Amino acid sequence: MDRNFEYMFYGFTAAWVIVIVYVISIALRERRLRDELDRVKRMVEDQEREAKK
Amino acid sequence: MKFLRQAWAVAAKDLRSEIRSKESINASVAFALVILLLFSFAFDPTSDQVREIAGGLLWLVFAFAGTLILNRSFARELVNDCLDALLASPVSGAQLFLGKTIANFVILMAVETLALPVFTVFYNVHWTQSIGLVFVVMLLGTWGLTVIGTLFSAMTVNLRLRELMLPMLVYPMMIPALMGAIQLSSVLVAGEPVGAENQIWFRLLVAFDVIFSLLALALVETVLVG
Amino acid sequence: MRTKIIVLLSVLAGALLAWNLHTIFLRVPDEASQGAVFRVFYFHFPAAVTSFTLFFIAMFSGLVYLRNRDLRYDSAAAAINEVAFTFALITLITGMIWGRIIWGIWWAWDPRITSYFICLLMYFGYFMMRRAIDEPHRRARLSAVLSILASVDIVIVWKSIEWFRTQHPGPVLEIRGGGGMAPGMEAPLFWNVLVFLLLEAALVLVRMRQQLIQSEIESLRRYAHAF
Repeated sequence: MDRNFEYMFYGFTAAWVIVIVYVISIALRERRLRDELDRVKRMVEDQEREAKK
Repeated sequence: MKFLRQAWAVAAKDLRSEIRSKESINASVAFALVILLLFSFAFDPTSDQVREIAGGLLWLVFAFAGTLILNRSFARELVNDCLDALLASPVSGAQLFLGKTIANFVILMAVETLALPVFTVFYNVHWTQSIGLVFVVMLLGTWGLTVIGTLFSAMTVNLRLRELMLPMLVYPMMIPALMGAIQLSSVLVAGEPVGAENQIWFRLLVAFDVIFSLLALALVETVLVG
Repeated sequence: MRTKIIVLLSVLAGALLAWNLHTIFLRVPDEASQGAVFRVFYFHFPAAVTSFTLFFIAMFSGLVYLRNRDLRYDSAAAAINEVAFTFALITLITGMIWGRIIWGIWWAWDPRITSYFICLLMYFGYFMMRRAIDEPHRRARLSAVLSILASVDIVIVWKSIEWFRTQHPGPVLEIRGGGGMAPGMEAPLFWNVLVFLLLEAALVLVRMRQQLIQSEIESLRRYAHAF
């Protein structure tokens, strides 16, 4: 029975580790996307200013 | 009938081109022989146990060799924008697909027919009394492989990593057809008659062929044109 | 507005989960033959059921895209497939751990675990293909087609492996998890299904929003290149 408790915790840990890793990867992707969006927006503004000159 | 006639025109074109150059069929037969050779190192070819897995070996060889043919199927049209010309022609996407599937089927059947005697000799199996049924299984299984493979060839034709993507996408999809063909081949190669419990594999093969042929014909226009 | 929905879903999922965990750990008695490890099933089954359903929902989303060519449905399909993939992975791993105790081996080649593995392989190919295509409409089109083929195939694969395994019974027998459970033990199972659905809905919404940001970036880049 002790063995079964051990594996039960492995099971739970595995499931939640996967969920947490996934959520963290989503969060990191969010930050990267926002940074890239800001960068591209600034690039477009610069180009528009250049074109107006 | 016009549908079939135009599809056959595409098939004839591919077959004629293949008969003249013999590129795919040579490479494919050579590859099949190499795999048969490699398998002989993995198992002891003369032992009785190999008899049990012989069907599996045979169809793995066919599946791997087939991928070579299927990859080239649409890829050969990329040169000189031939694919665009074909799509712009009055031949519909479904007819083009059917034509290419038929051509691939014929070529793969030829490869298999050449590889089968080699397999028989290498692995010392006896199935000559049920040669008719073996041929039927080959027809059904090969059609399943070809239909799926040609559809994915169309899907991956413009992708960056085409040669890698095609096998990776195609093999999982083919599993039911392979399973049915392997089961039936194992039974036939062992010299036993196909009993009632194995009828289900025939039905599976036929159902797989029908379902995926219809699905492919319905979807191929979307894949090729949009 | 959307952020509020996401937060609400997550909080609800979290609360239900906490209450359910309390039930699972403290109220439900140990199963007769399996001991404590049985409780892993309370996560294995919801993950399996919900991920399977999500794959089919994604297929329908792809079909809707093919009908009206609105790229948002493709973003939805990709997001749903991604979440489904993650939970299919959870299904597989919790199944393996459970199997290690019940059957003594990590991998039993029974129909469900094999079919799920094949499913994972097919959708891995789906994501690889998406990464290989840059043009959004082409990517959406081919993804939708692949999604249809994969969903149809997974049903056929499942059935064929079931037939295969009844002919060659492996070292294990199928354990139908639902039947034969005492009434008190079934309730947390269905609550957990709800928990997972809420959690997955939240994740899908987050991912969809990210997909839309990604599309916005791509279109801004195209606009910038036009100068």
